[in-house]
Amino acid sequence: VTELCVCDLLVAQCDVNCCCDPDCSAAEFSLFTTCSVPIVVGDSRLCSQKAAVYSLDVEANPPEMIFKLIDQVNPSVFCIHATNYKQALSFSSPKMPTSENFDQLLKEFGSAAFSAGPHGWDVNTDRQNPSDANETYRYEYGVPIQTVDAFLRLPSPVVSSWCSDANPAGFLVNQITKCTRSVSVKNCGDIPAVSMLFYINSSILAVSKCLEFIFQVNITVQSIAVQSPDGMRTLLGGDDVLRIPEVLEGLCINIVLGVSYHITYTEAGEIIEAAAAFVLGTINEEALSIQQSFEISFTQANTEPVPLSGNPGYVTGLPIRAGYRPQGYPFPVEMTTNKFSQLTLLQSTSSQDCLAAQGARTPILFGYNMVAGCTLRITAAMKCQPLAQTLLDLLKGQSFPQYVASFGNSQAQDVLDWVPITHLHISEQVRMYNTFQSSCQIPVSLEIEVKWTKYGSLVNPQARIVNVTATITTTTLKQLPSGRERTIPVMSSVVFTDVSSPAVPGYKAWPTINVKLPFDFFFPFV
Amino acid sequence: PEILNNCSQLSSLPLQILLYVNGVYYIFYFLATLMMIVYKSQVFSYPNDFLAPDLLMLFIMAILEVPRLYFGSKGNLTEEEAPLGLSLVLTLGSVVLAVYFLAWQTYVLRADVILTALLLSTYGLESGLKVMAIAAFVS
Repeated sequence: VTELCVCDLLVAQCDVNCCCDPDCSAAEFSLFTTCSVPIVVGDSRLCSQKAAVYSLDVEANPPEMIFKLIDQVNPSVFCIHATNYKQALSFSSPKMPTSENFDQLLKEFGSAAFSAGPHGWDVNTDRQNPSDANETYRYEYGVPIQTVDAFLRLPSPVVSSWCSDANPAGFLVNQITKCTRSVSVKNCGDIPAVSMLFYINSSILAVSKCLEFIFQVNITVQSIAVQSPDGMRTLLGGDDVLRIPEVLEGLCINIVLGVSYHITYTEAGEIIEAAAAFVLGTINEEALSIQQSFEISFTQANTEPVPLSGNPGYVTGLPIRAGYRPQGYPFPVEMTTNKFSQLTLLQSTSSQDCLAAQGARTPILFGYNMVAGCTLRITAAMKCQPLAQTLLDLLKGQSFPQYVASFGNSQAQDVLDWVPITHLHISEQVRMYNTFQSSCQIPVSLEIEVKWTKYGSLVNPQARIVNVTATITTTTLKQLPSGRERTIPVMSSVVFTDVSSPAVPGYKAWPTINVKLPFDFFFPFV
Repeated sequence: PEILNNCSQLSSLPLQILLYVNGVYYIFYFLATLMMIVYKSQVFSYPNDFLAPDLLMLFIMAILEVPRLYFGSKGNLTEEEAPLGLSLVLTLGSVVLAVYFLAWQTYVLRADVILTALLLSTYGLESGLKVMAIAAFVS
């Protein structure tokens, strides 16, 4: 106890009013007023122990520090006279991990709550080892997909919006990320992450059941779309030749603007196929950065990927599923649904010209009312019939479906689960004197009204579509004098109406007294 | 005055008193030590590995005490050496256990020291008196 001094905080310096500080000299002791630590003892529960007592003798001139080592006696009858248990009176120091005891220490202290210790739970360790040997090594949900070198990368923004290439793609985790990368024409050939090669270079390790060999799955190029500087995308058909960025006339072409991975997996957790669809673009000399978007999706082998829009009721924000019944047979046949038979709406573009942005359509999402429109310039030279047909195609899209699924998970086989789309025609008649003049009717507006109701239990109502009406409004196109032109607005909208009737409370039947006389009550007379 | 028998009494009266006092005192000692073990397990860190031997020793001592006192008393009153000899041997065992409680327990409190020292002195005195009684009976 003579060496213990809790107030000695400054090394090689004298602490003020600390009488046990060995760095203090007699001159400094004379400046103290009291002793902050008057006594230092060990465990006070012991019957007799040494104590160091420090005190200041203020009477003497100059004041001096008095140090006494005394035997302190604990007067209680329950003081510890002796102990045969070494660790009783002090905290045990933790064991140093070495290579021998690391596993045992990890088991004891590694989880959220400390386990009983090295003696307990011996049964579990025996059970774990045999099962490890038999377990097939396969991918599980969330496990990063391994490639020949490191992991399959899905660049994503970290902290800021700049791309970080260290984000691995997890198995069965569908992800969509967007990030910014700094590229300029000067160094577009040097940055690996804007070249197609970076994304299909290493092949994915798809582990097989037998541990003898692990085979690799090459990433194939599924499709390449080239995006022009004003946003138009063209699918390059045919060749999937690797296109590397190169500088051409002051522009850098074949810059990767987006990659979409599609991985096919089996039920056993192996990856059997991997394909990547690229969107390549060009940058000019003024560009300093590009925005890249990445997507990865997983499909089970031998299944058709039909994403459900709800289970069973539609979820707000998911696209409406639609299909069409193949013609020819009167008896119910399965609905056909594919990517091209979605219910879509015209998409407004920045140029607002109907004819310029053909083909850009947005899918109709359940619950979101949308309005879109564009303007059409009509010249005198345009003929009525082709114009009407063009506008109809514009409003309805290439393949307008006939049926809409009433539930988000309606199967194609259940024909009764599908609601037919009702078509209405409204024509704005312009009163003219000579009604016999053949008027040119062109469609100018398509309004889709989707009536839905709440279905199911009161606490968890599911959305169910009951009626879909597509109304086409046509207007008369007056013949223009030659040389003049007109612009007419073309509008397309979709409205969701909730037609659910309020729930009617059902009351339990009043209890009735069921009293009937037995049939032989009036025995002698009946 | 009637003389009931011719022989003089060989049974030792102090031994009998001591045996009786020992019995009473031992009950008190047993309960006190048990209470103190409970107290120690609450106040100090007393892992099960150390608690079990202490309790075991205490109960063995209690079990040993009963035949020891019985044989001692019987031997003294019937003036036979054999039970007294057996009692002496059992006293030796009790002494060892008392020394355990005095020195080899996990926590030896001052109260433990006082009580066990008293018990040991009783045992010592008893042993002495038993030896004298055996000597008296034999001869």
